[in-house]
Amino acid sequence: MAARDIHGPAPPWGDEFQVIGKPHRKIDGLAKATGHAIYADDIQLAGMLHAKTLRSPHAHALIRSIDTSQAEALPGVHAAITGKDMPVRYGVIPWTPDENALAVDKVRFIGDEVAAVAAIDEDTANAALELIEVDYEPLHAYLDPVEALERSDPLIHDTKKQTNVSKHVHLDFGEVDAGLEAADVVVEDDYSFHGSTHAPIEPHCAVAQFGADGLLTLWSSTQITHYVHRALSSVLEYPAQKIRVVQPCLGGAFGGKSDPFSLEFCVAKLAMKTGRPVKMLWTREEVFYAHRGRHPMRLHYKTGARRDGRITAIDARILIDGGSYSSFGLVTTYYAGQLLTGPYDFPAYRFDSTRVFTNKPPCGPKRGHGSVQPRFAFEVQLDEVAEKIGMDPIEIRRKNFQGSNTETVNGQRVTSNGFDQCLDKVETASDWKTRRGKLPYGQGLGVAGSMYISGTNYPVYPNKMPQAGIQLKVDRSGLVTVFTGGNDIGQGSNSVVAYLVAEELGLAVEHVRVVAADTDLCPVDLGAYSSRVTFMVGNAAIDAARKLRAQVVEAVAAAWEVAPQRVRLIGGHAIDLEDADRGIELREAFHLAEEKFDTLGSTGSYNTPTLGGDYRGGTIGASPAYSFTAHVVEAHVDTETGRITARKVWCAHDCGRALNPMLVAGQIEGSVYMGIAEALLEEHDVNRFGLHAGPSLLDYRMPLSIDTPEIEAFVVESIDPEGPYGAKEAGEGPLHSSIPALANAIHDAVGIRLRELPFTPGKVLRALREKQAPAGTESRAAERV
Amino acid sequence: MRVFRLNVNGDDLEVAAPAHWTLLEVLRYELGLIGSKQGCDKGDCGACTVLLDGSPVLSCLRLAATAEGHAVVTIEGLMPMHKARGGDGADVVQDAFDRCGALQCGFCQPGMMLSARALLNENPKPTRGEIHDALAGNLCRCTGYTQIVQAVELCVAEAAGVEPAQPAWSADANGKKV
Amino acid sequence: MLRLPKFELEEPATLDEALALFAEHGSDAMPIAGGTDLVPNMKHRLFEPKVVVSLARIEALTGIRVTSGGELEIGAMTTLADVARSSAVQERAPVLAQAASLIAGPQLRTMGTLGGNVMLDTRCQWYNQTHFWRTSLGYCLKKDGTECHVVQGGGKCVAAASNDTAPALMTLGATLVFQGPTPPGESKANLREIAIDALWKADGIVNKHTEPGEILTAIRIPAQAAGHRGAYGKLRDRGSIDFPLFGCAVRLDVGTDEAVTGADICAVALVARPSHVKRIEDELVGQRVGSDDFASAVGRVAELAYKQCRPMDNSPGDADYRREMVPVYVRRTLHAAAQGAGPVHHV
Repeated sequence: MAARDIHGPAPPWGDEFQVIGKPHRKIDGLAKATGHAIYADDIQLAGMLHAKTLRSPHAHALIRSIDTSQAEALPGVHAAITGKDMPVRYGVIPWTPDENALAVDKVRFIGDEVAAVAAIDEDTANAALELIEVDYEPLHAYLDPVEALERSDPLIHDTKKQTNVSKHVHLDFGEVDAGLEAADVVVEDDYSFHGSTHAPIEPHCAVAQFGADGLLTLWSSTQITHYVHRALSSVLEYPAQKIRVVQPCLGGAFGGKSDPFSLEFCVAKLAMKTGRPVKMLWTREEVFYAHRGRHPMRLHYKTGARRDGRITAIDARILIDGGSYSSFGLVTTYYAGQLLTGPYDFPAYRFDSTRVFTNKPPCGPKRGHGSVQPRFAFEVQLDEVAEKIGMDPIEIRRKNFQGSNTETVNGQRVTSNGFDQCLDKVETASDWKTRRGKLPYGQGLGVAGSMYISGTNYPVYPNKMPQAGIQLKVDRSGLVTVFTGGNDIGQGSNSVVAYLVAEELGLAVEHVRVVAADTDLCPVDLGAYSSRVTFMVGNAAIDAARKLRAQVVEAVAAAWEVAPQRVRLIGGHAIDLEDADRGIELREAFHLAEEKFDTLGSTGSYNTPTLGGDYRGGTIGASPAYSFTAHVVEAHVDTETGRITARKVWCAHDCGRALNPMLVAGQIEGSVYMGIAEALLEEHDVNRFGLHAGPSLLDYRMPLSIDTPEIEAFVVESIDPEGPYGAKEAGEGPLHSSIPALANAIHDAVGIRLRELPFTPGKVLRALREKQAPAGTESRAAERV
Repeated sequence: MRVFRLNVNGDDLEVAAPAHWTLLEVLRYELGLIGSKQGCDKGDCGACTVLLDGSPVLSCLRLAATAEGHAVVTIEGLMPMHKARGGDGADVVQDAFDRCGALQCGFCQPGMMLSARALLNENPKPTRGEIHDALAGNLCRCTGYTQIVQAVELCVAEAAGVEPAQPAWSADANGKKV
Repeated sequence: MLRLPKFELEEPATLDEALALFAEHGSDAMPIAGGTDLVPNMKHRLFEPKVVVSLARIEALTGIRVTSGGELEIGAMTTLADVARSSAVQERAPVLAQAASLIAGPQLRTMGTLGGNVMLDTRCQWYNQTHFWRTSLGYCLKKDGTECHVVQGGGKCVAAASNDTAPALMTLGATLVFQGPTPPGESKANLREIAIDALWKADGIVNKHTEPGEILTAIRIPAQAAGHRGAYGKLRDRGSIDFPLFGCAVRLDVGTDEAVTGADICAVALVARPSHVKRIEDELVGQRVGSDDFASAVGRVAELAYKQCRPMDNSPGDADYRREMVPVYVRRTLHAAAQGAGPVHHV
């Protein structure tokens, strides 16, 4: 780990902040509010063509032949392409390149991309698609992961081991069997987690332009500009120096825009082929087919504990339905086991997780990638353990709290850890002690806890270069421009970078401009995934700004003939700490520095320290810092309709230091909403034909404001030793424990354990019938009108 | 193709577009008013909401021709109208959304803010339930709606000269409104 | 973006012009009211009319008025939002105001019309999908195919009537006024007024009896009994936007002694047509609302509804659960009507 990577949680001038910790506006907030912000589909270029994709109507089939000649002959059509035009395979994880921009020899789910057409408008392009003739030879389609596990003829992918297994991981830590033997209580059960999808309100869109000089520019609604850049070069077999990838304003992602996608390659290829700009905007239906959402998992957990509440061992077996391609699946399979080892301490843990291919839209990383499903199973099981030994569910979580500055059973380093404070917060706010277990039948409180990574030291493709880089440029007006490869996907990472640079340099936030996610202009950042941006880009920003600050301070000190320690940059000025009358505007301080050092600028970067367990896969899930969350959910169950209402959710999240508490609260609230939504309403699945059951925002039931619980967000600041000013992630962690907390609240309300998601009213009624509600209480909520 | 005679954000405009285009397509791709967004294709999400004679409608379902003779207001219209009334900066709804952090990705928010604007025009002091009802045709995927509702309540409170309620997190963070 | 097919739009200013357009274009033309049903259906290529005739500029089709006889007459182009907030409707036909208030979301109620909701196409999870989706499926009985995927091997389309106002209007004994093309040599308007019950047929492909070229112009609701009460109950997943998974409208006529003198319950979102729950007056008439006997009668009526109402796998979700909710919603809605409350809805 280089010195550049860690600056400590406190600024060099002490620990009071001018910008950090305050609920500033976002730097792009007003542009978004007034409709001026430019998203991908807002880009209109002269002479632009519109492209559409032909998709497979079969869940699994060989392609015998494709004939595009009639389509190409249609007036208004400029080009048609198929898999033969781009045969190089890609995959966001370089070890599993199993995708083609357009299918080459076979299709693997209904909606798989087969051909693309560019025409003068979308209507003409659609008409051309109807004229493409594809000869398919249908194959047996796998819709059930168990069948895919047990059967290998036909194969979905030509895997090395000639099975339909996408990835298998088995890891063993400590003496699991002995731990279970020594336990006073063992709880063992099956759990099932269903599929859900990101459904950002902005559908994917990409625009490409190809210049006569050979420069290919791609504007795309992506959260991983750098990986798209690399994949484009590889798939198009075109030098990366001649490709520029730009992410315009992004209309939501949540992990759904973190793979390279077919449309990006297609518009690029079509632009190169036609010499015209080309746009492709997916329909909402196409976004559902692209998916990459939450993996359905079947989980078997066995947890042992002593009578005093201490966990002795956990044994987990997980079957993951991956859908048709690998995507991030290698990581998912690890995360499903690796990320369970906090906030609790336990001496023995074993997990065996298997991801299989099926002929369904490919799964990938949805907010809380890989670890939301195991967290559900385990936190529900922990509640049962508490019940069996007669311990308060919050107390058992306190009892097993791992503390800070420790190492997990699987060898991960944990630094700051404010989980105990998170529990305190939600316990107090929900009035847990007086209400839990004491509310009338039908109402209940449930708790759960979780942890998540703030980035990972696994950089997707092996290299020793920084994971995040920043460049600063100073204008003589006093404006500082930050160049960052980071992807602001709505979470506000560009604003966070501006706050950090403003804080370091003593500038007002509005005097910092941010240029982001443009591979021509910005230093490399790996992208917005694994909750890495605040931590890594933030550290790089501090690194760059601190270097610039040193130059400015030195120049001012030299001009004033004082020691540099006396110069402070604050409030838009350079001041002399020992002479209240002496001060100049920062603009003038910048001039002094430019005179002394020539043109001003600085770079900063961040790389993770060496982390991770010393075993194969030990770096996956190894994070420089972990965030922690506790939820209490208040659930009301209408025992006659089975409908569950999450009435209120208290969520406390340890984000290290809240660089902007308002934005942290927004991430917590959005996470809680998304967790409760997938627990109660949303389901991404296919029907008996392998067709998506309802690829629209009508049939995929996302909650409206009226359906969303009241949410109280609490920010716990543990101040991480390595985070930027001590900050950690806030975007994904707070989703995890919302779902098991709801399940546990339902148990408190009506005594049923729901182990199969989503919690539809029909399932609730069945569970209530099985349990036989106490006589005379059935219609308790019945006459609510 | 046909010529549409539309009144948009106070201007009488003539614009030619294919006869089967929706109002959303004409606004976005002919008039360059890209603030109205398209999220679901067919009336399920509310991102394309515009005001038609003051009432929120979905421009993705409204045939452009049938908007003739009506006053259309898009998100781009709010700030100029606010300035024309002597206001400063953005419309108070837009400003409140920004101040409350309600604009994460921002994609659904033009529609959301127009629904909120229509509500406040008709009912300057809505209850929380009335706010939920008025926004019940607009999906947001980022915020969990909390800061959106706070923003609308901030508008209501400030119009009434009342101190707005502070969210739970602000006590922890010792945060002061900027 | 999901594209609309190409069509010509006509915007007649009078009913006569509109009728002339339908006469001229025959089955190539379709009327459009608020467009909230037809436009998505056209984007899905369920309908590809050459000519779309907008009724929005015909002023005579809009408005709510109370006749001297106490009848409520609502123009077919009156928006659902206006129906829901009309004090005349709230007072004289509360079940209709409640049903209208729960349709879709605020924007769609501002656009959608009462006439449009009455004339809503039936819906099915195997039908309301894009052209690509339906092509992959191999189509269905309702459109372009030969097979029903709800009742496998079934020879009849069971797409569901999904219009909330239909059962409400049925309990109110509403009539529908259609105007057709004036035959040559005639000068009088060719009006046809039918009871709303006579509109329906049990065929999901087209569940309405209509005459070629005619337009629904008005909905008439007779003056109700002095002690009229009504309520609407709607089962759906979300608190807004969704079509009904089950809907029931209730009319109770209550005498000055609080005893029920007449009653009706209609259900929707089951099969192709909305339907009356039969034999309920035998149980309810004579019972004093709020009494224990009334509550027992309501229980028996809920059982009748359960026996008579069988939701099918035409809507997304669990049909068995929807059936289980029939008696619950019928009972809750009856009690709401009795109390002068409602609608019954989970939020």
